[in-house]
Amino acid sequence: MAKSFLGYLRENGSVGVRNWVAVVSVMDNCNPVTRAICQQVDGTLPVTTLFVRGQYGRDLEIAYNTLAGMGRNPNIAAVLLVGLEEQTTEELARRIRPSGKPVEAIHLQPHGTINCVAEGTRRALKLVVRASNVRRQACPTSALMVGVQCGGSDTTSGLTCNPVIGRLSDRLVDDGGTVIISETSEFFGAEHLFAARAVNPAVGKAFTDMVLRLEKEAMSQGMDIRGTNPTPDNIRGGLTTIEEKALGAMAKAGSRPLSGVLGYGEAPSGKGLHFLDAPAPAVENLTALAAAGCQLIFFGTGVGNPIGNVVAPTVKVSGNVNTLRTMADNIDFDASDIVEKSAKVSDVGDRLYDYGIEVASGTRTSSEILDVRETAISRFAPTI
Amino acid sequence: MPRAIVLHRADNVATLIDPGRAGETCALQGESNGELRLLQDVPFGHKVCIRAAPAGADVFKYGQVIGKASKPLKAGEHAHIHNVESARGRGDQAKR
Repeated sequence: MAKSFLGYLRENGSVGVRNWVAVVSVMDNCNPVTRAICQQVDGTLPVTTLFVRGQYGRDLEIAYNTLAGMGRNPNIAAVLLVGLEEQTTEELARRIRPSGKPVEAIHLQPHGTINCVAEGTRRALKLVVRASNVRRQACPTSALMVGVQCGGSDTTSGLTCNPVIGRLSDRLVDDGGTVIISETSEFFGAEHLFAARAVNPAVGKAFTDMVLRLEKEAMSQGMDIRGTNPTPDNIRGGLTTIEEKALGAMAKAGSRPLSGVLGYGEAPSGKGLHFLDAPAPAVENLTALAAAGCQLIFFGTGVGNPIGNVVAPTVKVSGNVNTLRTMADNIDFDASDIVEKSAKVSDVGDRLYDYGIEVASGTRTSSEILDVRETAISRFAPTI
Repeated sequence: MPRAIVLHRADNVATLIDPGRAGETCALQGESNGELRLLQDVPFGHKVCIRAAPAGADVFKYGQVIGKASKPLKAGEHAHIHNVESARGRGDQAKR
């Protein structure tokens, strides 16, 4: 029987697992105001960014779509945009409004920092009061969209945390929910196995093309990617090649069919397992997953990577007994029973699914409580 | 006795889930059983070669190719970046 969780039902039928007012910087020069408002107003969440100013073409679209995607995320009750001037702010506002949530904006020109912080603080206060009227209610798990990621990987990742996350992925897909796996480079050497799971040849080809295009781009630099991926800590953790890392990383996607592929800044139109084409490093990838609409992210780690996303609570899962001891503060779920007690992946994965439902219902993760959170939108071209 | 997990019958490496010392015998678990004497120290999480392979041979884990032996591999040897090479993303080897 499909399970339910306690979530915040939004105007457009989506369900939040958190109920924040997001204060969103339209570009980097707005970040100080965003931070000042969030420091003053409880119940707000700062979504800051670098660049945007000077970006154009594909990069500017990605920047706007990603910031807007985080604003549209069901975990956000209302959005306060902090802009430099009206035209660029409107580019963001018009992408968030279709979600039906309140979107307000303040501008640095011509009011200046102090007035802008004061006005933003007043607006945020009212938005938080309004958001706090919403109550959690029982919602089906089919309303969940979950991102699956790994970082600070080692050989325990492919043995323990990633397969456990894979079991959770299968359970959620079977319950009618949505799962997104990403990290394009971390399919080098495993893409043939994943492409074979596509619902049709077009989806399989679209996925393979994304992986091979990235490999070709990397190779055009004339360098060996080893040392960058696998990273030095991956290698110290026993991972020898990107192929080995990829085969372990893919376990997070469980075993269900690949329903669709997404470009950076896109959101899935249907349910089931999806692939999102985005760079692998944790902060960048978490940002892309949250912008696609994931309310929760499950993050497998071996040697340890504590970072989480601002908008989507991030559950850290590890099966490395050393990391579970030395970085215990940063880990939410212990998957080490698989190697230490010969526990079944399915049993530990079912426990993770139950725990995930608690997190969706309000249990807080370490990266939320410690505010170990960051945003980074990928940039592919120079600014002008 | 340090434990080493074999993930697939076709694999020629196993992953240690305890630190192993040169001369120690490790217990193979998973898709293969038995014991293997370590020729070198193998740190926690690192791999040991469980079947000899010539230079250039495919190295298998999960029943899949994870790279090629860059030197001849002996059973009991530590298998890592010093003797196993990636075949992917190798712009350094690409024809320009």
